[in-house]
Amino acid sequence: MNTVLAIQSLSKRYGKIQAVNDLSIEVMKGQVFGLLGPNGSGKTTTLSIILDLVKPNKGSFSWFDSPPNKESRKRIGSVIESPNFFPYLSAFTNLQIVADIKDQTYGDIDRVLKLTGLFERRNSKFKTYSFGMKQRLAIASALLGNPEVLILDEPTNGLDPQGIAQVRELIIKVAGFGITIILASHLLDEVQKICSHVAVLNKGQKLFSGDVSKVLAISDSLELSSANLETLQRTISTHSKFQSYTKNGMMLQVYFKEVVEPGEINSFLSQQGIVLTHLSERKRSLEQHFLELLEDKS
Amino acid sequence: MIKLLKIEIKKILTYKIFWILFGLYFFFLACGILLAEFMINNMVDDMNRHMPIPFPHITIYYFPDIWQNLTFFASIRFVLIFPAIIIMILITNEFTFKTIRQNIINGMSKAEFLASKLQIILIIAIFITVVLAIGTFIIGVSHSGFNDMALVSKGIPFIVGFFISVLAFLIYAFFLAFMLRNTGLSIAIFTLYSLIIEPIINGFLRSPFIFKNKIYSYLPINGAISVTEYPAIPILKKVTGIELQGGVTITDCLIPIIYSVVMIGIVYWVIAKKDL
Repeated sequence: MNTVLAIQSLSKRYGKIQAVNDLSIEVMKGQVFGLLGPNGSGKTTTLSIILDLVKPNKGSFSWFDSPPNKESRKRIGSVIESPNFFPYLSAFTNLQIVADIKDQTYGDIDRVLKLTGLFERRNSKFKTYSFGMKQRLAIASALLGNPEVLILDEPTNGLDPQGIAQVRELIIKVAGFGITIILASHLLDEVQKICSHVAVLNKGQKLFSGDVSKVLAISDSLELSSANLETLQRTISTHSKFQSYTKNGMMLQVYFKEVVEPGEINSFLSQQGIVLTHLSERKRSLEQHFLELLEDKS
Repeated sequence: MIKLLKIEIKKILTYKIFWILFGLYFFFLACGILLAEFMINNMVDDMNRHMPIPFPHITIYYFPDIWQNLTFFASIRFVLIFPAIIIMILITNEFTFKTIRQNIINGMSKAEFLASKLQIILIIAIFITVVLAIGTFIIGVSHSGFNDMALVSKGIPFIVGFFISVLAFLIYAFFLAFMLRNTGLSIAIFTLYSLIIEPIINGFLRSPFIFKNKIYSYLPINGAISVTEYPAIPILKKVTGIELQGGVTITDCLIPIIYSVVMIGIVYWVIAKKDL
């Protein structure tokens, strides 16, 4: 099969801190794979290991079904932590150096500069760039020569809202080209918006992995109220998708096993002769859900 | 290999600090060489005040002695430290800017990265040597004329020896920069060691009552710069009683070469093992 990256029981320890703990991940061709976890959960360490910057204590990994080597790294475009360029060189020269290392011609430089909106400033020194521009140059350099895999570590970290929107748009655009993307982020919302697959990390361990829609599925709840709360309680309990409820003053917060339409519940209850005085959808915030995921498993 | 050199040249071509320091180095080198005779004769004049029979003035710019003299002045610690600082800046910059990480991520191997730095060291050492050789030749011709090829070819061992001195000095800088990964710290420790600590150890080891043989010549910096240990100035022998060397010996060259090879080996081993 088209395995792009296979990580087998990887571990890395920094003194007392177990940064990565027995981590196994598989990324297939064409996936937009999210590595989701709070700060310090081992995302950057994992990426540093698979890019040969850091040696693991245990475990192994392979790119494109072969052991890691510099040639496989030339097929990967990466942005790790911060944009790393020579401050006194222009964006163009910095990208020439990247192209030289990757054994590419300079023909693609203009394209990636235009794609990231830096073409007009291509001859300015890197140190004169704003943070957002620096980040975009890092992405430009990662995109140079159409890599088969793109690795992005917190690509929107430290950007202003406009910058975040630009970068996300760019990633979605690039994913459209069919490039496999590995995205590390502590922002659930970001992973959910961009990724097709996800692995949730905490304290260096993998908690979940799989399809984004499944792993991050959110069980909705409804807030209901009627003249007689007790009848409402009894009746709603008989609904086939009912899971549990909590009483919240004059409100009943009802959780369901799967996603339900408010209309469905409304008609169900009116058939049973109950008139609702209040009906509203309650979604748990994504962050709250994420924290629950972390708590459940640790 | 050409590819690595191409990358390395891009990194320094528009790096102002590099060119300023390199320019300053040649400026001081030229000043030192051109003023050496004047300063020595000033010292001779000083001595002569207490001498019943005054020493004659010294000339250092005549073939063939000029080769030994100018390679000696060009390889004293205070002068050689300049290009060493340049090398330490070039290498530690890669850690400061984290560009070494980026280079590896983009598909350079660690060995290639070291090779690229060694290449630039080699080029700089060759360049300095060639400039010194040409300069020495021109000064020599302007003082003693060009009439005997043998007098010119006598300079070859000294020029080769000078090249080894420079190369070793730069490799020591390479070593320290890769070990410490920090610009200020590398420069401070290199300067402190080569200009203060080693001369003190050197002075102690030279004490004839304690050490009979030339242990001091095995110190790294001393070993590198004493490929041309003394200038060819006969008065020096009369004043100090030191036996002046006749030429450059293989043993003299071997000490810095061995140090350099060991240091490159250690750097390779450490970089291969350590996280970046």
